[in-house]
Amino acid sequence: MGDEVLSINDLHVSVEGNEIIKGISLTISVGEIHAIMGRNGAGKSTLANVVMGHPSYEITSGTISFRGTPLEEMEVFERARAGMFLSFQYPSSIPGVQVGTFLRKSVSAVRGENAPSARDFRKELKGHMESLDMDRSFLSRYVNDGFSGGEKKRLEILQMLLLNPCLALLDETDSGLDIDALRVVADGINSIAPEAGCLLITHYQRLLEHVKPDFVHVMIDGKIVKTGGAELAGDLEAKGYDWLEA
Amino acid sequence: MINYPQISIPPRSDHLWRYTPWKRIHPTKVEEMPEADEIKFSSGIDTKIEDSSEIARSFIHSISQTSKKISLDNETLELDLRCSGHICSGQLVIESSGKSNLIIRLSGDAGWTGLRILGIVDGSLSFAVINDLASDGHLLRCEDWIVNRESTFEFATLSAGGFLNKTDIRVDLEATGSEMRGGIASNGYGSRHDDHHIEIQHSVGHTNSSLVMHATCDGSSHSVGTGLLTICEGADGSDAGQVFRNLLLSEKARAEAIPELEVLADDVKAAHGAASAPINPEQLHYLSSRGLSYQEASSLIVEGFLMDAFRHIKSEKVVDTLRTRLLVHLECLMNG
Repeated sequence: MGDEVLSINDLHVSVEGNEIIKGISLTISVGEIHAIMGRNGAGKSTLANVVMGHPSYEITSGTISFRGTPLEEMEVFERARAGMFLSFQYPSSIPGVQVGTFLRKSVSAVRGENAPSARDFRKELKGHMESLDMDRSFLSRYVNDGFSGGEKKRLEILQMLLLNPCLALLDETDSGLDIDALRVVADGINSIAPEAGCLLITHYQRLLEHVKPDFVHVMIDGKIVKTGGAELAGDLEAKGYDWLEA
Repeated sequence: MINYPQISIPPRSDHLWRYTPWKRIHPTKVEEMPEADEIKFSSGIDTKIEDSSEIARSFIHSISQTSKKISLDNETLELDLRCSGHICSGQLVIESSGKSNLIIRLSGDAGWTGLRILGIVDGSLSFAVINDLASDGHLLRCEDWIVNRESTFEFATLSAGGFLNKTDIRVDLEATGSEMRGGIASNGYGSRHDDHHIEIQHSVGHTNSSLVMHATCDGSSHSVGTGLLTICEGADGSDAGQVFRNLLLSEKARAEAIPELEVLADDVKAAHGAASAPINPEQLHYLSSRGLSYQEASSLIVEGFLMDAFRHIKSEKVVDTLRTRLLVHLECLMNG
């Protein structure tokens, strides 16, 4: 635990005039896994999307810095190239663009001069796909087009492994996964965790049985109302959120 | 049969000629039949083709010095059509049997090109036309296809070249079990005008057709897609669908997408749709979050949108060739 990758200070965020995030502060360092839990509509996904730079959200006050650089100075693609990754809750489909082509372009863009040769890329890709139990036929399909929920999440994790980020934001990556797929996805997260900061957004404890968080934060109505260790997820599973609202 | 000079000039109220009137696509003055150079076909044997009572077909017939025939039987052929000179034209007969692929590439710097194709499909034919003509050329292309019993015709067009293009494709599903799957991708840039008219006729029952046209509209380009889908009386059990989509990339670009349906049978499935929209910002954001700049992300979405027109084409050879040509074309455009 040491190097700070994400620092959020008293963040307020609005969408079309409605304040969704109402003062959040959070610091994530390399090697730390943070989990954010909360009811639907608490602002969890908004937080992840704001950090990644989704244009629909307006930061009304507060600051976010990524590896020491204020985020307002960085375009979305610059954040990605600097090592930020968001696993989307609902990844967009890009009809007509083959997965293989997309992955190659993405890796080239993010790694720049250090991008692997075509041969090394294929080798690397093959290894990651095997670790995620993904069939080679995935590569010729169109990005997320006609994919099942589980296939979309595996593709998100495959991208994460290839891009090897220093900050991984995972927005409900566990939703729609069966038990075997959940384990495969969790293995992927664990493999990057030692050298990255991870922010997991989830509703359920089941992912946290495979990926051990260092911190669990509970979000209610746009604020973090409680922070604890991994045991807090168990408490939430048992007691729900009502006891934190008083 | 009356031939070209006697055929009346079609009015603009005619569906086919609404957006690219005959006067505009004719290379000189409408009453003239100018001399034309030959299209150079990379293969084919000489043949004769009958005249037509339809004005564009008759005109091409009248000025063409060359008519070639290609016979395919379980084979793949890439056919180059080289078009040069002030005015250039030719006719082609295609007879296909077994499982065949035919890829035609139109290239050259002709000022005006006329191409007429007549095809008969027996078995399974995957057919593609790639328009790679010079960016100031004009193209008039007319095709008539007959699809025989239990036969499948896949046709694809990648329209990327030429300045003023008028294409008129007619497919007759004339026997039970015949099927057509079509995909047209049109890339609009600069002041390019690209007009596709597709008529599909289900003459008998238990015939299937699907057509997808995708046009990207940038600069002050004008894309036109008109379709006429006819399911004839008694053609019960037919299944037909047409979709026209336009991707709007510029406020000055124009796009028309007009599918029309004429159903004279009772027990059929028939659907059509048209949509025009700019790039989906969620797609842009997704690709940006993977490190692609706005320009790189937009280009990839455009490429995908055009390739997606061929989603029903099952021939890998045809789809791979189209993808390669599209990538070359887009790269050339980007590099000026």
